[in-house]
Amino acid sequence: MKNPYIPHEVKILDTWYEAPGDRCIKTFKVTFTDEKVWDTWSHLPGQCAMVGIPGVGESMFCISSSPTEKGYLRFSIMKAGKNTSALHELEAGDTFFVRGPLGNNFPLEDWKGKNVVTIGGGIGQAPLRPVIQWIRDNRGDYGELQLIYGARTSADHCFKDEFKEILEEGECACHLSIDVEEEEWPHFVGFVPQLLLEVAPSPENTIAVTCGPPIMIKFVLQNLEKLGFTPDQVYTTLENRMKCGIGKCGRCNVGHLYVCKDGPVFSYAQLKEIPEAFA
Amino acid sequence: MVDVNKLREKAKEVVSRDDVRLLIGYRPGTYGFRARPAFVQGPDEADELIFTPACVNNLATYITLEEKLPVPRGQEPDLRKVAVMVKGCDSRALVQQMEEKAYDRDRILVLGIPCTGVVDMAKVEAKFPGVLQRGEIALEGDRFVLSFNGSKEEVPREELVADKCLRCRYPTPLVYDELLDEAVERFADDDYSDIAELEKRAAAEKWAYWEEKFSRCIRCYSCRNVCPMCYCEDCVLDRLQPQWMRRSVDISENTAYHVSRAYHLAGRCIQCGECQRVCPVDIPLMELNRKFYKDVEELYDYEPGTSVENPPLLSTFKVDDREDFIL
Amino acid sequence: MALKKLSKEKMGEVLGELSKFRLVAPAKSDEVVVFKQIGDPQEAFLDYGNSTVPPKKFAFPQTETLFRFMVGSPELKEKNVEEEGTTVIFGLRPCDARAMAIVDKLFSWDFDDPYYLKRRELTTLVGMACVEPPSVNCFCTSLQGSPFGTEGLDMLLTDMGDYYLVQSLTEKGEKLAETLSSQLEEAPAGDEKKAEEMARESEGRIRRSISTAGIPEKLPGLWENELWKRVSAACLGCGICTFLCPTCHCFDIQDEVDEGGEGRRCRMWDSCMFEEYTLHASGHNPRPTRRERTRNRINHKYSYYPNRFGVIACVGCGRCINLCPVNIDILDILDQVVDAQ
Repeated sequence: MKNPYIPHEVKILDTWYEAPGDRCIKTFKVTFTDEKVWDTWSHLPGQCAMVGIPGVGESMFCISSSPTEKGYLRFSIMKAGKNTSALHELEAGDTFFVRGPLGNNFPLEDWKGKNVVTIGGGIGQAPLRPVIQWIRDNRGDYGELQLIYGARTSADHCFKDEFKEILEEGECACHLSIDVEEEEWPHFVGFVPQLLLEVAPSPENTIAVTCGPPIMIKFVLQNLEKLGFTPDQVYTTLENRMKCGIGKCGRCNVGHLYVCKDGPVFSYAQLKEIPEAFA
Repeated sequence: MVDVNKLREKAKEVVSRDDVRLLIGYRPGTYGFRARPAFVQGPDEADELIFTPACVNNLATYITLEEKLPVPRGQEPDLRKVAVMVKGCDSRALVQQMEEKAYDRDRILVLGIPCTGVVDMAKVEAKFPGVLQRGEIALEGDRFVLSFNGSKEEVPREELVADKCLRCRYPTPLVYDELLDEAVERFADDDYSDIAELEKRAAAEKWAYWEEKFSRCIRCYSCRNVCPMCYCEDCVLDRLQPQWMRRSVDISENTAYHVSRAYHLAGRCIQCGECQRVCPVDIPLMELNRKFYKDVEELYDYEPGTSVENPPLLSTFKVDDREDFIL
Repeated sequence: MALKKLSKEKMGEVLGELSKFRLVAPAKSDEVVVFKQIGDPQEAFLDYGNSTVPPKKFAFPQTETLFRFMVGSPELKEKNVEEEGTTVIFGLRPCDARAMAIVDKLFSWDFDDPYYLKRRELTTLVGMACVEPPSVNCFCTSLQGSPFGTEGLDMLLTDMGDYYLVQSLTEKGEKLAETLSSQLEEAPAGDEKKAEEMARESEGRIRRSISTAGIPEKLPGLWENELWKRVSAACLGCGICTFLCPTCHCFDIQDEVDEGGEGRRCRMWDSCMFEEYTLHASGHNPRPTRRERTRNRINHKYSYYPNRFGVIACVGCGRCINLCPVNIDILDILDQVVDAQ
């Protein structure tokens, strides 16, 4: 019997900060210490893993790299509790443990031939990053890709270099925002849901994927509806406190769905039926 | 015993007041002789209120238990009073909470019930097993009268009364806005005879005794949650960073849990005995609390929860405090 | 299925024989009956109603190690459940055995839980029929159970007065009967019928009930119903109802490190009634009050679980009713669910 509670050790190849502050965000680029693990590992955009240090604990994070990026996994982690604080102490060459992949994924197979618009806020861009990367690496399979992303300040923007690269490439539309005015900010000022209305992507043959703080998601969903998106065209990811990651320990359920097992990816059509989904 | 009609009339009057949000009292339980807490918000709900010797719960716990959710923007916090029915022992919890400045006196409205003793429900259910239909218990003279399934049974008071009531020094509430009945005299003094034997034992014997009890603990935390003095918003037990106590359930952590709790209650426990009553595995927690209570009384001539004017014992210092027991 | 007879004088011998396994039986500790591993057959207390704490901890320990490690070392040493050896849980009630059969579904859903399943594989359940329903709050018959129910059991014993009627129900049960062959005799003819009659009589003495039909479908529609506020107002937020529930199976996972760096990752029972259970590291809590937590407990048992696994996660043992400090009564709640508009 394969033991789903046993994690694999990973080595940090590189690490850097995405955003500063008390709740700073750090990205870890890692590979399995035992290379043979790669032979049994396969994940898809949207899937998660338990990340932790024996002696400290484990917490669930989305894998923020796409499977098209070979030889490494990425995690972007905000410093919040005991485990994330310990992880933030680690540098390149250090190790931690990963258990997964866990949960479901974005149905990228089903989205082939469609346009995709991603709407992210703050660290909520982390699960959207592998979607974007996957589409960029399988460009021919998908229609137009549009990115909408915002954070409180420009310093709080995650994946700054990549957004810069995408903007420079000019291959897909990329709309950025900050909440309050800053000098020399060339993009939108305001909240992400407003930016969404401003950009007004057409719902025609389009999938919208959103992730961010709950309050942002709430208004993004409203505004997508205004733009004519139907609930089955809209996807998001949920998070809750998790311990086992495999649907046993109980705590992450929203209504009858386990976020760790049935999610984290849900269509708005699914979540609309569940009053607890946005609690 | 308080007249139930008078009680309900008073409750209606109280919950109709503009400055009262809620009244916490008792109502009949779902089966047998049980009674349960009632949360009355309007006069129409007051007709189910009761007070009988089956009303064992200490309702003072609910004053601090309510979750304080953030008030939505544009709304004012509801600052109306909470009215609460208390027996003598329960009132001491209110006194102690207020001594500790847990809330202001004017936040609560206290309906005092002079108490002639409550039953030990375990004793009742052992004597009358399997009573499903709602029954009633009343005290008539020195006997409890139990009415159930159309019949009446009389039992001498001492057979069913809770042990704590036999040594109750304060049967009449010590704090109230209104007293719903005539004050009652104390029944007996507390001579601590119940813990005398335990005190005499050697350390190793005590250790063995408690080890056996604590090994049964399942850490359901009902003793903590029912305790009117355990109202810390952020309990040391729940903390993970730093983690003072492990969540593993074993004799070592269980002991740490109970000993910590007993220490946190030293000079604060008001002897309502709720912790021991609710323990599903019958750990005699009051033996610990009573030992501390006795020591506090002997060392400092102090009884918790007896006067709002008293500063809490462990946050005061007097130059003539005894210190001969300090190692 | 061969019926056997076990005379009461031979009970000591039987327990002695079973002591070659890890033998778990009800035992008295002060006035509390709990299941525990017994060495001396004298310790077993078989004249009991039901145990305060269900025997679930012998399949799902309150605290168990998943693996051990040295801090800083990449080596993780997995706990080997097989070391615990073959276990016989002797004398459990049919409701508690049925509860294990219900929880098995969760622990084998999609991801096999190796600790739980291995332990279940190594465990034989010997039940004791409830000739008399043990509690006024028993309601197993409302949940497809019976005081003589056999679901989940390998062997069922029925107290016939001077002797026990022994019924082997599974391969494991047959094997155990073989082990005990020198203590067992042929059962008197007609006992099977007599036991069936006793079962019917005992079922008739179950006094509380609920019609569960329609509840799983109805619950989701009552999400915002004011009944949740009402039924949870008195809740203290303690773990009695869940820890004493034979089907509750939620757990926490924690790392514990001793001085010297030896550590273990372990799991321990957790309760959806605890505030901390769903508290995010950010401070956000999706179930911020006892209202949401009570609603989740009832929905989990009576809606989510049957939705996913086809069976209500409650066996009607009545423990949560008997021992709730504030008389929150699941049947009272379910009655309100049935009545709610």
